[in-house]
Amino acid sequence: MTTGARPATMVVDDVHVTYHVNEERRPGFRETLRQGFKRPVERSIDAVRGVSFTAYQGEAIGVIGGNGAGKSTLFQVMAGLLPPTEGTIYANSQPALLGVGAALQPKVSGRRNVELGCLALGLSRQELEERLPAIVHFAGLEEFIDLPLRTYSSGMRARLHFAIATAVEPEILLIDEALSVGDAAFKRRSRRRIDELRSKAGTVFLVSHSMRSIRKTCDRVIWMERGVVMVDGPTPEVLEAYRAYTEDPDDD
Amino acid sequence: MERVIAETPHGLARLSTRPSLRTYVRSVWERREFAFAMSVGEMRARHSNMILGGLWHVLTPLLLIGVYYLIFGVLLGVDRGVENFIGFLAVGIFVYQFSQRSIVGGSSSISNSIGLIRSLQFPRAILPLSTVFREFLMLRAAAVVTVTVVIVTGEGVSLSWLLVLPLVAIQFVFNLGAALFVARAADRVPDLTNLLPFVFRILFYMSGVLFLVDRFVTDPAIKALFVLNPLYCFVSIPREYMLSTLDQQDVALMWVSVSVWALAAFVIGLVVFRSGESEYGRA
Repeated sequence: MTTGARPATMVVDDVHVTYHVNEERRPGFRETLRQGFKRPVERSIDAVRGVSFTAYQGEAIGVIGGNGAGKSTLFQVMAGLLPPTEGTIYANSQPALLGVGAALQPKVSGRRNVELGCLALGLSRQELEERLPAIVHFAGLEEFIDLPLRTYSSGMRARLHFAIATAVEPEILLIDEALSVGDAAFKRRSRRRIDELRSKAGTVFLVSHSMRSIRKTCDRVIWMERGVVMVDGPTPEVLEAYRAYTEDPDDD
Repeated sequence: MERVIAETPHGLARLSTRPSLRTYVRSVWERREFAFAMSVGEMRARHSNMILGGLWHVLTPLLLIGVYYLIFGVLLGVDRGVENFIGFLAVGIFVYQFSQRSIVGGSSSISNSIGLIRSLQFPRAILPLSTVFREFLMLRAAAVVTVTVVIVTGEGVSLSWLLVLPLVAIQFVFNLGAALFVARAADRVPDLTNLLPFVFRILFYMSGVLFLVDRFVTDPAIKALFVLNPLYCFVSIPREYMLSTLDQQDVALMWVSVSVWALAAFVIGLVVFRSGESEYGRA
């Protein structure tokens, strides 16, 4: 598995997440009058059920599993955005989460989004001015940077978001499918950026449904299904086990 | 970084979704440039598609004074007991608007920045804060108009005008606290956003923005109720210093009222807002 000699960057200790969700449909006004006020039906969903692992400096960890396996929920908890129902996260710094479909500020220009994003992440005005050209260049958006974000394609948006989030050099980076919409050139560049973060003693987590990009980027993989960790180990072994599991679900 | 607290295994710190109040306030302070950039951008964007552009920051207040003067001074004649009714209106309208727009804006500050919230981690209190700060920036243009109007209508400049500055600071704190509170409330009950404008419409008439309350209300018990209304006090105190012919009662009490309100609003607003920190932006 992992070399215990390297210092740890994050410990996930028996994390559980249970969502309590009301059934979606709200009765209309007339219906309420006729039937009286009923409390909506509440359902609890165990999205994450007892996940534990330790991540070390320099690791790139892929997280794979079917839809609804709890990968995105786990990332939310790891980023400190969602409190776990049970369990604890320990980390050496605030992780940065790159989610899919992140919108930033659609009405304002790309440049202004970079400014606001970097300031939101805690850069000073001066640091921002210094890094702005590099961020724009990395995102490959020089031509479009003064257009409103809503005119960007989803790939361009993802590039900009990735460039902003990695500009502050987070020690722990959580990437939730955010690279899958980028083109080949950007995937190469982002892989290089990920390697850079790792070489600076950072840890990168990557949720992806592309086994190719997991194989290329990650040295360790955590496979989850239905909220629990199935296997946690070196990439080739886990991918092999996952392939065997997904290829032959039933005999029909 | 700022979210991290107690010591633990591997020398790592526990990641908390609920930082202590002090840590939270500090992390907001560290990102004050973000709040500033948000407010300045929003203020500039406001009239950017108009032909007259930024001139509207001055034109809007002028037109507003004109309209209110026409309706309430000339047509309805509620200017009883006020010698300089135009100056009286100017001060009242803008001071009132500062609170109204800060708080109504605060209620939609979360939903307006849903994209930012879902993409980046930052203390969410920045959003209501930048709304209030934006309104403060807008107030500056209105203040220039007001001071000009007051001088043109015959008031002499005096040192006591400076007392308005600490009052604006107190009002800023009050607005911020109230904006934080309604931001959290509107996040849980979105319908509040539709209701708030009506609340402020009623408060507008109950805070003496358009008429001198001392002239219409003589019962001391009812007057005490007015002093308990922070908006009435915010509107009345600067009038006392800027309009020489106005002779209001209870001004010292009003200072006490606004100070207590501001402190209470700020503390309650901050605590209430922070308790929802991890919930903002979730569907």
